[in-house]
Amino acid sequence: MRLLRHLQHWLRGSGPRLQVADVVPKTNSIRQWTDTFPWAKLVEAVEQSCASRFPKRAPGGRHPIPTRVLLALELLKHEVGASDEAICERLRTDVAVMYACGLDEVQLDSPQEHFVLPETLAQFRSRLDDALMDELLALQAAAAMDEGLVSPAHLLVDTFPAEQGSQRVTDATTLYKAQKKSSNSSCPSRSTAPPEQPH
Amino acid sequence: MRCFGRQCRGQGKIFVKLVRQTETQLLALGDSIAALAQEAHQALQEAPHLSAAKRERLANALRTAQEAHQQISTQSRQLTQGKKLPHCKIVNAYDPTIAPIMKGKSNCPAQFGRKPGIMSEPTAGFIFACAVPVGNPTDPSYVVPLVDKVQHAIARVGGPTTPAIHSVAGDLGVNDAALRQALHDRGILSVGIPKTVEPINPEPSPADIGHLLNEAGVHRKRTPYQVQLACACGYSRPVVESHIATLLTRGAGQLRYKGPHGAVVQLGMTVMAHNAAALVRIRQQRLSKRAQKFRRLLGLRCRKVN
Repeated sequence: MRLLRHLQHWLRGSGPRLQVADVVPKTNSIRQWTDTFPWAKLVEAVEQSCASRFPKRAPGGRHPIPTRVLLALELLKHEVGASDEAICERLRTDVAVMYACGLDEVQLDSPQEHFVLPETLAQFRSRLDDALMDELLALQAAAAMDEGLVSPAHLLVDTFPAEQGSQRVTDATTLYKAQKKSSNSSCPSRSTAPPEQPH
Repeated sequence: MRCFGRQCRGQGKIFVKLVRQTETQLLALGDSIAALAQEAHQALQEAPHLSAAKRERLANALRTAQEAHQQISTQSRQLTQGKKLPHCKIVNAYDPTIAPIMKGKSNCPAQFGRKPGIMSEPTAGFIFACAVPVGNPTDPSYVVPLVDKVQHAIARVGGPTTPAIHSVAGDLGVNDAALRQALHDRGILSVGIPKTVEPINPEPSPADIGHLLNEAGVHRKRTPYQVQLACACGYSRPVVESHIATLLTRGAGQLRYKGPHGAVVQLGMTVMAHNAAALVRIRQQRLSKRAQKFRRLLGLRCRKVN
């Protein structure tokens, strides 16, 4: 109910309610994937970390989007290989994604004019830090060990290269711009005076 | 691919003259930056309408930019005058933590980026810990922090029997005497780390097992059976490449989030998504024969999914 109250600006409606768990089959890959996470512990860890680092300055204001929804969207993004926009869009239309976000029921006739904005997801991401990421991974590993599914007895270690994919200034970009500038400066008449059109 | 250095593949053109000319212009342009930065600092301190926190934040940003310019200009002068650059040079003006990765493909330009490390189990590929260090440190420096992270996770297990790390296996890159000693001090076998290019014997004789236990000094902590499993694990070490390949298919090979913090978040989320998929495979018993056998030997149960 707490989740529903927080997202009621999106889920408001008067029609029949759709039970998400009844719609998503148990064999659905996203449902099976979702059921492996210890959500309560993960959400608690995120909320504790954020509360200590970003204390609420003033009471009041709109209720925040639940941590469970944002965390699930961020994880699901890496599972399905979607962008922020795509995963936020799927939350509106895909019932399996709603299940992954912990939504129990939705209104069928809701206008769905509002949804989780990609900017909100980026903001949530910026609040995660190194220690919290290690904590989340440790919680997941501890839950799996508790269930007896995995054992840390024998471990393998390796490294791999990961290219930084940001579209920022690099040597190649600088060189390209310099080349372009050089070619422009060598023939200034082209940039200043356009060629006359033949009559 | 963003690359640096000699082009060994393809028809690469290097405009040395153009780079030198541009470099001179850019350095001349940047000469006034130091004086301008000083003026900006003074103006910032005298700005009455800014709060103290905002003033501090802006001053930090200005200081960082000033330092970055200084480093880049020094590096640029060295590069164009034919001097060899030090190992970790700046390859991105906005993120000095990115380094050339001296790893991966041979006979091709070095990639720019980061070098994450993972510690996984050999059956289903569940990743217990990951690390994204700044720059390009040596491979052995990854192991102890990763072991610490796994032990931190183990400390969270609340059951009658606490699991323990018996052995760590790696490639020839992590073969380091100090690292072996550090692992032995913690009661962890290092038989899975090769000393030569020859493959590890997966079925050591009892005499070999005794010798390995004596050498590691863990006679009372580890049993011969655990040594046998450690050797088998070391022999199967290349399976970690498949775990890495799975991460790469999830986009871990290209870091899209900004800065070192973004890299940690992206890799962490990717690893968690990968782990969940591995747990689904374990629950559904969709494992290879080798993984099933290893799980039987480790005494891990498989729940039947109806």
